[in-house]
Amino acid sequence: MLGKVRIVTDSTADIPSEVRERLGISTVPLKVIFGEETYLDTVTIDPEVFYEKLAQASTLPTTSQPSPVEFSDVYQRLLAEDAGSPIISIHLSAALSGTYQSAVIAQSMLEEEADITIIDSKSASYGFGLRVVRAAEMAQAGESKERIIEAIEQLERDSRLFFLVDSLENLQKGGRIGKASAFIGSILNIKPILSLDQEGIVTAVDKVRGSKKAMLRIIELLKQSFGDEPVSVTMAWTSHRQTAEELGELIQREFNVQAMDWTRVGTVIGTHAGLGTSAVFMRRL
Amino acid sequence: MSKRFINGSDFAAMVLLGAEYLQRNAERVNALNVFPVPDGDTGTNMNLTMTSGVRELRSKPSDHIGKAAEALSKGLLMGARGNSGVILSQLFRGFSRSLASLEEAGATKVAAALQHGVDLAYKAVVKPVEGTILTVAKEAAKHAVQYARRTNDVVELMQEVHQKAHEALQRTPDLLPVLKQVGVVDSGGQGLVFIYEGFVHSLTGMEGGGYRDSYSMQTEAATPEEVTAPSAAPALRKHEPLSAQSRLSTEAIEFLYDMEFFINRKLGGPKLAFFNESAYKKALEKDGDSILVIAEEDIIKVHVHSRKPGDVLNLSLPYGELTDIHILNMREQHRDLLEHELSDVSTADYSAAELLAGQSVQVTPPGQVFERAPYGIIAVAMGEGIADIFLENDVDTVLSGGQTMNPSTEDFVKAIEALSAEHIYILPNNGNIILAAEQAAELSERNVTVIPTRTVPQGLAAVLAFKEEETAERNSAWMKSAAEQVVSGQVTKAVRDTSIEGVDIREGDFIGIKEKTIVVSDPSLAGACRGLIGSMMENGGDLLTVLTGEEADSAETASLCEWIAEQYPELELEVQKGGQPLYPYLFAVE
Repeated sequence: MLGKVRIVTDSTADIPSEVRERLGISTVPLKVIFGEETYLDTVTIDPEVFYEKLAQASTLPTTSQPSPVEFSDVYQRLLAEDAGSPIISIHLSAALSGTYQSAVIAQSMLEEEADITIIDSKSASYGFGLRVVRAAEMAQAGESKERIIEAIEQLERDSRLFFLVDSLENLQKGGRIGKASAFIGSILNIKPILSLDQEGIVTAVDKVRGSKKAMLRIIELLKQSFGDEPVSVTMAWTSHRQTAEELGELIQREFNVQAMDWTRVGTVIGTHAGLGTSAVFMRRL
Repeated sequence: MSKRFINGSDFAAMVLLGAEYLQRNAERVNALNVFPVPDGDTGTNMNLTMTSGVRELRSKPSDHIGKAAEALSKGLLMGARGNSGVILSQLFRGFSRSLASLEEAGATKVAAALQHGVDLAYKAVVKPVEGTILTVAKEAAKHAVQYARRTNDVVELMQEVHQKAHEALQRTPDLLPVLKQVGVVDSGGQGLVFIYEGFVHSLTGMEGGGYRDSYSMQTEAATPEEVTAPSAAPALRKHEPLSAQSRLSTEAIEFLYDMEFFINRKLGGPKLAFFNESAYKKALEKDGDSILVIAEEDIIKVHVHSRKPGDVLNLSLPYGELTDIHILNMREQHRDLLEHELSDVSTADYSAAELLAGQSVQVTPPGQVFERAPYGIIAVAMGEGIADIFLENDVDTVLSGGQTMNPSTEDFVKAIEALSAEHIYILPNNGNIILAAEQAAELSERNVTVIPTRTVPQGLAAVLAFKEEETAERNSAWMKSAAEQVVSGQVTKAVRDTSIEGVDIREGDFIGIKEKTIVVSDPSLAGACRGLIGSMMENGGDLLTVLTGEEADSAETASLCEWIAEQYPELELEVQKGGQPLYPYLFAVE
């Protein structure tokens, strides 16, 4: 009899800590580096404190993936608890971070053959966080590795994410602007509607002027995918919850929302998205 | 100085100096970082990785080289950060495994260990990319294995390793086009060379002095500041503080044509488009870099790296005659170096006559066909600010014109012919200009669609609805419908007494025109603006754009904005410098 599947992710999944604890999700933190200070994403620095620091910082902090050893430690711990348990390790888009790479190396470093499936989510924040949560729920219910991976893939097709940033500056400076680079330095206050493409690269789906129009455009885009189907929604924000709340209200009105949750964007994603970012993650139920 | 074997203490000394060199030069390495993400932290990450390795090595001092290398490897793995850091940790993980059981190592063993490190690193990386630290390590190790057959001196071997790594580093731009484009060598590879340099100097006892000089050549173009090392003071160079990253967006676009030419305004004919340097530069930036525009009286010198030399020339044609045109394909050199992709194209320096003989210039390098851009957009505008806004939002050509000075059909035809695009849109932005534009569309054999925009705000809404990747039909439909959704307003001075549709107008009064109708006449500019905005907001709106004209003064604008914010607290307000004559303010409500 095989043990229950174990779920590993990294801190950029932006899963609230109480959910992670309840579902037994092992989370490896990325790092954010302010000058000489290195912090573990949301572990040794609280987002609230971090965003205040970010607002005052003259140069942007840098970020770093976990080291392979940090992953192999977690894998080893899980294997020590129950050597027969398969591990599914789901991570931030490899196009945005070397986190997936580190996890892959960690696997190769393990002495014994272990059943570890490492997945490049090609997504970020709760975009893959919601897959991790679903995987962990299924693992708790004793579902097989294969069923869980299938469900994760289905969820990828059944969910969409959009985000709005105050300014593209952080994305550009941090080198993560991807295909939205065309909107840099515009005179007009153009708001690109941002998402991640199939390769997990930042892309601008559309452009509008003004934040109200941007929200309305997001509603339209989501309508195209979800219509009046029952959906579950997670809203996320970095520093100003109000904009995300405004968007959340619109979504409540316009969609068949069965559940709406809130989560704070962590420090690593927050470094690159910047202050005043709001995001919506919607999935078909 | 020679050494047949190195033991754990020798190795520790090498690593310590290697780490020190890396640390001193971390900022330089950061400055080179454009791949895989141009975030300028390779040096920081490698340094932190190495620091963790050194800490572990120091905590477990051993004369046994296997044990010392193992300690380093463990420390590196624990502290590995960033892609280069992770690769570094893999290089030394393989290295240490290979030496695990040895008390001391000779040249053959060291070479084999370097090779083992490279093998492991290549295996560990999901998608190995050449032209990075991997290539530098690989070529150095390969050479080491060969060279170890000729010598049993470890010092000499490491000197060779360092030299080869240095050479491989110089070639990284030939393997990774993004490096070539920015003009830098690979950052991670540079970090590794610093480490190897420390190794060599530790073995030869030549610490510190002069070591940096060997690197000044390759990094000088991209070094934002001289970070350390008083030893280099005499050679200190002052460079423009331009980091490699700032010249690059993540999508490594290859601007492979190096272009240089002059625009002669005197030879350009009577109806030249007005030359706005910043707008012109912005237009070049859309598809180019390393841009230099020097405008002096009637001669404008232009230098740019572009993907589409034809577009650059066509973009320049409305401003005058082009002379002294030089175009060079910068990728050729790189291609020649790639053995498997040798091409026999000789020169790409085209003469001006060849270039201007055809209607549009199309350069076709081997294996890649350059096509016309799918779309071109021509807009009519008065005012530098408005022209700038159009040019930075997908418009290719701005023709000067408006209420008093209308471009002719011929002006449009010329602008159409100058554009190398499959489908061309014209935004007349004035009711009186639509006809001329439509006539030009009929006369031209090209695909031209006139979006009948009557005002500048309508034109702006139309360009923002334009999408490069969409079909022409959809773009036409969206641009038209976007233009119709804007409420346009303009304020100007009445030139005579009259009465129109119940509005009494006196000469010198300010009149507010909503779409085509005069809705207000007021002796004060503020009154006219308020009345006009009130009328424009009758059916609500989310965003009000104000384009300030030549005659608008900033105090007037500020008080107007205050009034708007008070009156319509929910409304988003955006004020832009339009610079248009005759109309102190243009408004758009969306």
